[in-house]
Amino acid sequence: MYPLRVDNLSLQLPDGTMLCQQLSFEIAPGEILVLMGPSGSGKSTILSWLTGTLNKRIRATGEVWLGETCLNHVAVEKRKLGLMLQQDYLFPHMSVGQNLKFGLRGGSKSERESRVSASLKSAGLEGLQDRDPATLSGGQRARVSLLRTLLSEPCALLLDEPFSRLDVTLRGQIRDFTWHSASRLPTLLVTHDEADVPANASILDLSGLR
Amino acid sequence: MIRIVGIVLAMLFAFPIVIGLLGSVLPAFGLLPPLADSEGFTELFADPRFWPAIFLSLKTAIIATLLVLVLTMLALVCAHGTRLWRWLNGLLPPLLAVPHAAMAVGLLFLIAPSGWLVRVISPSLTGWERPPTLWVVPDSSGWSLILGLVIKETPFLLLAAAAQLPAVRVDAALRIGRTLGYAPARCWSRLILPLLYPRIRLTLLIILAFNFSVVDMAILLGPGNPPTFSVFLLSLVNDPGSRAVASAGALVLAAGVGLLFGVTVIVEKTISQIANHRRESGLRGNSLPIWRVIAQGISTGGLVLSMLTIVMLLIWSVTRRWRFPNVLPTEWTFSHWTNRLGEFASPLTTTLTLALFTTVFALIAAVAWLEVERREKVPKLDWMWYIPLLVPQVTLLFGWQAMALLTGSDGKWLSVAYSHWVYALPYVVLILAVAWRELDPNWNSAASVLGAGYWRVLFRVRLPLLIKPVCQAAAVALAVSVAQYLPTLLLGAGRHQTIAIELVTSFGGVDRRVIAVLASVQSILPLIAFGLAIWIPRYFRAERNT
Repeated sequence: MYPLRVDNLSLQLPDGTMLCQQLSFEIAPGEILVLMGPSGSGKSTILSWLTGTLNKRIRATGEVWLGETCLNHVAVEKRKLGLMLQQDYLFPHMSVGQNLKFGLRGGSKSERESRVSASLKSAGLEGLQDRDPATLSGGQRARVSLLRTLLSEPCALLLDEPFSRLDVTLRGQIRDFTWHSASRLPTLLVTHDEADVPANASILDLSGLR
Repeated sequence: MIRIVGIVLAMLFAFPIVIGLLGSVLPAFGLLPPLADSEGFTELFADPRFWPAIFLSLKTAIIATLLVLVLTMLALVCAHGTRLWRWLNGLLPPLLAVPHAAMAVGLLFLIAPSGWLVRVISPSLTGWERPPTLWVVPDSSGWSLILGLVIKETPFLLLAAAAQLPAVRVDAALRIGRTLGYAPARCWSRLILPLLYPRIRLTLLIILAFNFSVVDMAILLGPGNPPTFSVFLLSLVNDPGSRAVASAGALVLAAGVGLLFGVTVIVEKTISQIANHRRESGLRGNSLPIWRVIAQGISTGGLVLSMLTIVMLLIWSVTRRWRFPNVLPTEWTFSHWTNRLGEFASPLTTTLTLALFTTVFALIAAVAWLEVERREKVPKLDWMWYIPLLVPQVTLLFGWQAMALLTGSDGKWLSVAYSHWVYALPYVVLILAVAWRELDPNWNSAASVLGAGYWRVLFRVRLPLLIKPVCQAAAVALAVSVAQYLPTLLLGAGRHQTIAIELVTSFGGVDRRVIAVLASVQSILPLIAFGLAIWIPRYFRAERNT
C-alpha cells in the first residue's frame, strides 16, 4: 500500500472564487485524514478532483500522487480510488450478490462466489446474496456499499459524508465497521459532523483556509 | 356530472377505434355484404405480390428499428456530457416536428444520383460531369426508405431517452462505475442502459409498429415493385371489388406488428440474460477512445444529414436553374412560391383549419380528461391512449373508412377532423399528463381559500402555471395534424386536399421545385408552432417581470 499525497491544490470556481489555495497533504496507509468545513466550502469538490470527475468549468491546478505514481493524467477508472457517497447507489437492477460481484476483480467463478459470501459474512450479512437491495435496511445497504468498494481493491478510500443519511443509532456501528475495514488503506473522510471523526484521525479544517 | 364528461370523452376516443377494428374484421371474413361478400384471406395469400411485399416490410421495419436503437445508444454513450449533447438536445425537437413526407422529399434531393451529396464531390473527386447511373433512388431493396425512417425516428427515441436520464441517475452511475474501475462505455452498458431500456421500450415499440406500417414515407422512398405491404394494401382498398382482400391484409398487417412485438420480447429476454452474466463477470476490459470518436462522428453525421434535408427543400423551392454538378443553383427565383399561391391557397386553408380544430379540441379534451382524472380518482387509462400509436393506421383507418362508406359520412370535413383529433389526442394527453399530475395540489387550495371558484382556479392558476407544457402539447398536436396523410386520404374521399395529400400524390408527376415548395410549407407550419411554443411562455414571463 502506498500513501496518497496531494501537492499544491488550488480550485477556482467560474466566478473567480477560490475554493482552496495551495492545499497539500499526505495520508499514509492506515491513516485517516478528515476534511472538515461547512457546506459549500469545497470538500466534495476536492473529492471530485481526486477521482477525476471534476466539473470542467472549475479550474484546478495541483498534483495527486499515489506512492510514486502521479494520477493527474490517469483515467478515472484506472485510478483505483474507492469512493463512497452519501447515498449508497446500490444498483437496483442487480441483487446484493451481483452488486458485490460487479465490484469484485478477477478470480474464477467459484472463487468469486466464495469471496462474495465471505465478505458478506464478515459484515454480518450472511446469506443475503440473492436479496434485492431495495429490501435491505439503511445500515445493511451502507455495509454492502462499502463491501462493494473494498472488493474492487482500491488503493485509497474516499468517503463523502457516508454516514450522514444513516439513523443516529446505526451511525456508530457503521463507523466502526468502516474504520475496521479500511484499516490498511489511506483514507480521506469528508464531513461536517465532528462525531464522525475517529480518535486516531488528523483533521484539516477548510473553513479557515478560504 | 364530472364522471359523465370523462365517460363521454373516453367514448369519443374509443368509438372510432372499435368501429375501425370492426370495419376491418367484418369485411375480411366477408361479413359485411354491401362492401365485401366473400372472405379475403385466400385471395390475399394467392396474390403473387403478397409475400414479396410482406418480406420487404419486415426487412425495412426490422433494419430501420435496429438502426434507430443502435444510433440512439451510440449517441447517448458518446455524446452525453459533451458539447455535442447540447447541440443534439437543441436541434432534435425541430427535426422531430418536420413531417415524414417533407423529410422524405428532402432526403431524395440529397441522396439521388443527381442529389446534393454527389454534387458536393463532383466532378472534383468523382470525375462525374453527369449524374451517375450506379444507383437509383428510391432503390428496389428499400434502403432509401430505411434511411428515411432512421433519420426521422432516431430523434424521437433519443429525445424520449434524454427525458428519462435524470430518473436513472446517470451521473452517479458513471461516477460510481468508473471509480469501481469500469470505462464509461461499460458503465453505460452495464449500469445505465439496463435501467433506461424499460423506460423507452414503449417508444421503441411505437417506432417498430410505425416502421412496419408507414404509408406516406413508403410511397415516396420505398420501392415500387413490389411496394411495401401497407402501400400494396392501399392500392387495393380503393378498388371497389377488393375490400375483402384489403381488410384481410389490414388484419395481417396488425398481426405482423404483434409478431414483431413477440420477437422483440424474446430478443430482450436473451440479451438481458447475456447482460446479466457479463455484469457478474467483473471483467473491466479496456476503454477504446477511438470508438468514442467514431461514434461521435456518426452522431454528428446523422444530425447534419437530417438538417440538410430541410435546407434542400428550401433551396429547391427558390431555384430557377440548377445544373449538375453545381453545388448551388445558378439562378434563383421566388416565382414558385408567388405564382402558385392561388393553387396552394385551398390546400393550405384546409390544412390550417384541420390543424387548428385538432389542436383546440385535443387541448380541451386532454385538459378535461386530466381534470376528471384528478378530481374523480378514476383509474389512469394511459394504455388507452397508446392504442392508435401501436395499431397500424392502415388497420384502423381501412375499417373506419368502411364504416364511413356504409353510413355515408365519408368525405365529410368533420370525419377527417375527427380522425386527426384521434391521432393527435394521445400525444397531447401524454405530454400534459406528466406536468398535470406533478403540479403541487397546494396551488389549488391556496387559490381556493382566497375564494376562487373551480373555473377561476383552472384558468387563472392551473393553466398559467402549466403554460409551457400546454404550449408544447399544442405544437405537437398541430404538427401531428399537418403530417397526417392516410386519415385525410381515406376519410376525405378526395374532397379535402391538404398539403400532405398534395405533396404525396403530386410527387413524381410535378416539377421538383414545386414539390419543394409544398414540402417547405409542410415543414414550416409545425416549425412555427414549435417556435411559438417556446416564445409564448417566455413572453408571458417577461410581461410579468416588467
